[in-house]
Amino acid sequence: MPTARRSRRDWGERTLAWAFLTPSLVVFALFIGYPLGRTFYLSAHANDLFGAPSRYVGLRHYTDLLGSAEFHQTLVTTALFVLLTVVPGVVGALALVLLLESRIHGVRAFRSAFALPFAFSVASASVVFSVLYNPASGVLNGLLSQLGVAPVGWLTDQRYALLSVGAATIWMTLGYNVLVLSAGVGSIPQEITEAARLDGASGLRLARSVTVPLLGPHLFFLVVVSTINALQSFGQIHILTKGGPDGATRTLVYSVYEKAFAYGSSDFGTASAQAVVLLVVVLACAGVQFGVLERKVHYA
Amino acid sequence: MGKQLWGVRVAAALVAAGLTLTACTSSGTPAGPSGSGAPGAQALDNAKGVTTVNFWHSMTGQNATTLTALVDAFNAAHQGKIVVKPLFQGTYDDVIAKYKASVQQKGTPSLVQVYDIGTRFMIDSKQTVPAQAFVDRDNYPLADIEPNIRNYYSAGGKLASMPFNSSMPLLYLNTDAFKEAGLDPAKQPQDLAELGDMAKKLTKKDAGGQTTRYGFGAAIYGWFVEELLAESGTLYCDQGNGRTGNAGKVLFDSAQGAQAVQWWADLVKGGYAANTGRVPADAQAAFKAGKVAMHLESTGVLRGYTEAAKFTVGTAPFPKINATDQGGPAIGGASLWIDGPGHSDAEQRASWEFVKFLSAPEQQAVWHTGTGYFPVNRKALDDPRDKAWLARYPQFQTAIDELHATNPTPATAGCLLGVMPQARKGVETAIEQTISGSKTAQQALSDAVKQLQPAIDSYNSAVG
Repeated sequence: MPTARRSRRDWGERTLAWAFLTPSLVVFALFIGYPLGRTFYLSAHANDLFGAPSRYVGLRHYTDLLGSAEFHQTLVTTALFVLLTVVPGVVGALALVLLLESRIHGVRAFRSAFALPFAFSVASASVVFSVLYNPASGVLNGLLSQLGVAPVGWLTDQRYALLSVGAATIWMTLGYNVLVLSAGVGSIPQEITEAARLDGASGLRLARSVTVPLLGPHLFFLVVVSTINALQSFGQIHILTKGGPDGATRTLVYSVYEKAFAYGSSDFGTASAQAVVLLVVVLACAGVQFGVLERKVHYA
Repeated sequence: MGKQLWGVRVAAALVAAGLTLTACTSSGTPAGPSGSGAPGAQALDNAKGVTTVNFWHSMTGQNATTLTALVDAFNAAHQGKIVVKPLFQGTYDDVIAKYKASVQQKGTPSLVQVYDIGTRFMIDSKQTVPAQAFVDRDNYPLADIEPNIRNYYSAGGKLASMPFNSSMPLLYLNTDAFKEAGLDPAKQPQDLAELGDMAKKLTKKDAGGQTTRYGFGAAIYGWFVEELLAESGTLYCDQGNGRTGNAGKVLFDSAQGAQAVQWWADLVKGGYAANTGRVPADAQAAFKAGKVAMHLESTGVLRGYTEAAKFTVGTAPFPKINATDQGGPAIGGASLWIDGPGHSDAEQRASWEFVKFLSAPEQQAVWHTGTGYFPVNRKALDDPRDKAWLARYPQFQTAIDELHATNPTPATAGCLLGVMPQARKGVETAIEQTISGSKTAQQALSDAVKQLQPAIDSYNSAVG
């Protein structure tokens, strides 16, 4: 008797559960599932003049990518860009937040100032940076010439372009990172820091042994989110360098855009194959971070 | 267990549904036949109500204002019959991307403004009615259109689209800097070597050894190399610059191409030319600010320069690679394409009426004086307004003389190539590589040619 009734009740609950899930599943299928399936489909097809899929080519776009020196350079650039932006972005924000912990006057003003970049859109921030970096009339080269240093091709010299775009990106992400970490510091129970202080810990020691370990979950979250954001950066690259000079700032996302839309190209096949590679890279990064980093994170 | 399996099945069903949808939307691309005959004026007479012309364009700022005024004038003159709706669609590149999507969705605009280097693609798209068909039907006086401009937009001797906004490249001079350096701005450099020597004399350093003014500076823009090749009478691509058949190869790695790119890179490396990158606005800013004494740009910026610069802006013919070169510059800019498939005869005819209006002498004089683009109609130069404008801006005469001195040849017609935008980008990358010193100009250009080949082949095989 109980088994029969229970399974009938289970069935009813299951139906109800699916009924509740259906709307979100439909949205998911429509806006994530379909484009994803479409990307895989396009990546296995050649294109006609207008970019419509014309014939099945199997894995040819993928094998072409593997053999392409240009694509290898793109992958290296992408990895460098992630390293150059995520590490300084998170470490810098952490340093700022720890400094804000010191009891000095006007700390609120600083906190607002440090969080301010969050309010800028990528486009407007990029335009401001392009003015700063301008080789002939830019502020940065103006300062250098005051110091008697030769002007630098911030965005036009292969050696500096990625660093310059990276610096702009760090500035843009800093606000968000400061906000998250400030919230993290605020959530550390007072009694713990007080106990540590009573034990004689202060300054660096307090930060190293108490604050930073307790910020673990926030730092972990920031590393994951910043990595994914860095992998998907587009606006600042488009506005500042358009992937140049000579491909020095062409990341994976920018390469996808170039193949699909730029320069009259409509090579959606290659672009989709690159998008799939990007998906794999993002999943792999997230997987590694969850597998390795998370184990070291202490959730209070 | 069972629950999980069911979930998997639901997911699979959703994916399958998505794929079916995909299959439905991707079933081929419409490729209607290109109209052989164009509808006559009666198509519009027979039409009921108002015929709407959706006009995609890429004009911004002052150029957009002037275009809107012309559209308003046309609409007022055709009240109750035709209404032209100008729709700004972003940059020329954006227009091509959107146009491709519109072909897939069978929703092309009635009329579209496409840049010079999109010409081959537009012909191959088979979506448009050749302007020649309307010209033949109306006995339109094609001789009024500047022969060099007509030459660019013709394939197989037939006009594919009607030129609208045409520009030419010029050498811009800071005449004050010339006088300061003891040079005569009226004595213009005959070739690249001479231009380089002048650039060295015009470069100025302060006491600390910092360069305060470069002798030369231009945006890393592939168009300039195309122009230098045209000036030297060298083909950019095979099949007579794609005029006698579909081009299958680019030829910009010629000795002339390498000479021009190496010359440019050497000036930058020697500290005599400013490298402001690919963005034209940055190079323009450097010239306007007096940081660069000689500069390559289109005629289209002349009016802005004369108004913004604190020095006297001089213009000279675009340089030749060698003084003995017999070619001339190819024109740049954009033309107007009338869409055929999916558009009624009345709509096609209405588009043509508007195109005819825009290319008439009076409108071209308004356009010329309002924007700085070259008048495509020769008779516009006789318009009193145009004459007054030339008297005020004598610098503009340079471009007119330059155009009229050029014999139409395949080299000066410019290259028709389906993947021309990518070819231009390849040249730009080669310039960057030569400047950075990672390759010689010859090597960089040869590599660019090699890298471009698969794109040309796949384009040509897609055209069939």
